Amino acid sequence: MSSTALDYSKEIPVIEGRPSAASIDELIIRPIDEFPTKRWYIGLSITGTMLLIGAVSLGWLLWKGVGVWGINQPVEWGFDVVNFVFWVGIGHAGTLISAILFLLRQKWRTGIARFAEAMTLFAVLCAVMFVLFHTGRPWLAAFWLIPYPEQHGVWVNFISPLEWDVFAVSTYFIVSFVFWFIGLIPDFATMRDRTTSKVKKTIYQIFSLGWRFSNRHWHHYERAYLIMAGFATPLVLSVHTIVSFDFAVSIIPGWHTTIFPPYFVAGAIFSGFAMVQNVLIITRKMFKFEHLITLDTIEKMNKIILLTGSMVGYAYMMEFFIAWYSGNPTELFVFVNRAFGPYAWAYWIMFSCNVFFPQLFWSKKIRTNLLFSFILAITVNIGMWFERFVIVVTSLSRDFLPSSWGMFIPTIWDIGLLIGSFGLFFTLILIFLKFLPAIAIAESKAVVPGAQPSHHGNGGHHE
Amino acid sequence: MSESHTSTELYTKQPFPSGYAKVGWGLTAVGLALVVVSYILNTERALFNNLIGFIFLASIAAGAVFYLALEYAVGAVWSTPFRRVTEFLGYLFPFVIIFSIPVLLNMHTLFHWSHSDAVAADKLLQVKAPYLNTEFFYIRNAVIVAVWIIFFYAMSRNSLIQDLTKDQRITKTNIKLGVAFIPIFAISISLFGIDWLMSLEPHWFSTIFGVYFFSGTVLGSLAVITYFVVDFAEKGLFFKGIRKDHYYTFGALLFGFISFWAYIAFSQFMLIWYANLPEENFWFIERWENGWKIVSIAMTLVHFWIPYFMLVARPSKMSPKNLKLSAVIIVLAHFLDLYWIVMPMYNSSPVFGFYEAAFPILSIGIILLVISRRARKYNLVPIGDPKLQRGIDFRL
Repeated sequence: MSSTALDYSKEIPVIEGRPSAASIDELIIRPIDEFPTKRWYIGLSITGTMLLIGAVSLGWLLWKGVGVWGINQPVEWGFDVVNFVFWVGIGHAGTLISAILFLLRQKWRTGIARFAEAMTLFAVLCAVMFVLFHTGRPWLAAFWLIPYPEQHGVWVNFISPLEWDVFAVSTYFIVSFVFWFIGLIPDFATMRDRTTSKVKKTIYQIFSLGWRFSNRHWHHYERAYLIMAGFATPLVLSVHTIVSFDFAVSIIPGWHTTIFPPYFVAGAIFSGFAMVQNVLIITRKMFKFEHLITLDTIEKMNKIILLTGSMVGYAYMMEFFIAWYSGNPTELFVFVNRAFGPYAWAYWIMFSCNVFFPQLFWSKKIRTNLLFSFILAITVNIGMWFERFVIVVTSLSRDFLPSSWGMFIPTIWDIGLLIGSFGLFFTLILIFLKFLPAIAIAESKAVVPGAQPSHHGNGGHHE
Repeated sequence: MSESHTSTELYTKQPFPSGYAKVGWGLTAVGLALVVVSYILNTERALFNNLIGFIFLASIAAGAVFYLALEYAVGAVWSTPFRRVTEFLGYLFPFVIIFSIPVLLNMHTLFHWSHSDAVAADKLLQVKAPYLNTEFFYIRNAVIVAVWIIFFYAMSRNSLIQDLTKDQRITKTNIKLGVAFIPIFAISISLFGIDWLMSLEPHWFSTIFGVYFFSGTVLGSLAVITYFVVDFAEKGLFFKGIRKDHYYTFGALLFGFISFWAYIAFSQFMLIWYANLPEENFWFIERWENGWKIVSIAMTLVHFWIPYFMLVARPSKMSPKNLKLSAVIIVLAHFLDLYWIVMPMYNSSPVFGFYEAAFPILSIGIILLVISRRARKYNLVPIGDPKLQRGIDFRL
């Protein structure tokens, strides 16, 4: 086996091939300078079509009302909440990668942090869309969602976790956006100095906020980046914690369980990393970023997917065990009904995609295989969507009163809006990849082997 | 004995200060005397405290195995120079077993579900009987502790062999062991917590309880490790060139786990309080009424707020004095946490006396003795580890 040559006394390089600073600029900015390729237009036409399907579904929804959806009594929450939780979950990886892995000094995050964070912003937008439109009359939603004093005398319900969500998600979005933008400033300056187009130069000039690569600028930048990472870290964990409260503070069997907060956070990181993995593998190939995003990075991503997937598996099993251990027949019924009732197919899709398939990542061969990584990441996303479906729908469809039991069947408008959200997400990613550097240029230069002073002898170290 | 330590230019083994053993013997003698007196005066109360002492030592030892496994599994380098302290704590396992004996011999005093007449009269206990019965309980926990010991022994022995051979393949073997241990630990620590602590109140259940016990365990264990690392470093027993960067990592990790514990504890409390279902809220009511309110509030202070603010600032994570003090507070908080879980089952209002001091004193005495004995025998730095130089060179 080749790994016998592995030397633990050496660090694994984050960037391979010792590229020069100029070649890093060239490699990352080239896709932006070039006229959009044919492949980019093909991609855009597909995602644009999906977006259009979403727009039609949305138009019909606004015209007719939420009755066009499959929600009913007793399943009052359907695809709207499922999709909201799914997209918020996807939005966890980016800031986790850029903030938490930064605080943990995981340098391998450098290559993927930028577009992972862009994905966070886009995923949160998709999530917010569902929150807004599930109110039925979004033009009035401001009164229902955001507390402000006015003569209507309408006041939001502060004791509801749904209201906490409004604050948690909007704070998360704002902080993630600022954090992302701070990281972009030096790169805007690089692009400003490089471009020959007058229009582009002006735009980059505005966004680079007068950055001149001075020592003082870098000093402030690093401070700001560290502080923002510190702010963003608790937010990454709090958002999905509060999403889990939406369910767990209730007394509905299958929703009210104390493990929900960490279980939801683990699940969110799990699905988010899987989505990043999908986009990462394609971008890396298309833009020839193989040296900047190494196979080692992909392997590490897969390890985190394996870890968080197993955490989710732990939560599934603990819930099942305690449902039995509690001796509460209703609680046990809900879990048996999930696994063997009318929605058993959804449960087993969830279980196999989230718990069984990721176990393949125990094998190093599979972890370092791009095709397997890509396919398994897709199954994880399918699994995590179904997880939310199982939680929301199975618990509601089997109410406390058997006479009021019912089934949830999505309409084409439910499915249309789901497709539309994927269209929105991927369209935004394509636009991002065209107009902004997909990898942090300045940060990449700092992690090239040899970029940092050696610690032997020269005694130079900060703080 | 002397062949186990060969000196390199990085590290020369120094005579270990005798103060540790002196204090250790002193505390052990006092603790043991108090334990004997408590067993004579009030066996029931002594047993409940014995359970706390047993869980405390078990969690420090098991947590140490977890950190050992974690370092190998994630490929951490900053902790490599200090790994020996973690390894020494695994030698607490014989004492864990000794501490468990009085508890195991008196299951009926502690565990309501172990009475067959109680089970016959209680429908809920009948439902749980396939899990909560003494035979399965013994087997389960014997297997759990055995697995911990086996993994500890394998990894720690390999690490000691590496001092002599400097063989990189040993690191590879330990990585495999460490990775295999992580999922095993996740399940075993949860069941251990459920069995010994949650089942004290057999009607109560909480899906997060396993995670809660895990969070307390890893925090308590890390505090003990941090204390000895900083103390050894201050006494110059490690190597030259320990920097604030090294201290910082311990401070930051402590800070992280303090926050993690608080997050898990709050999640458990908040969800039960909010839903207010009688089948689960009584557990918290028991810990709020009859004077327990003060203990509950005190626990949030010593287990979270005080150490949180002691470690939140960057310079405070690098100050050896501050680190040692926070570590001591966290160790005491871990005792208080166990007290808070266990003692409401003994008495409906909180009791503090020499009974409650006996086992903490004895446990700390034993930890000091175990550490000093191992530190005299083995190298304090894993000199054969290929990651050692990177660990020493670690910069923020």
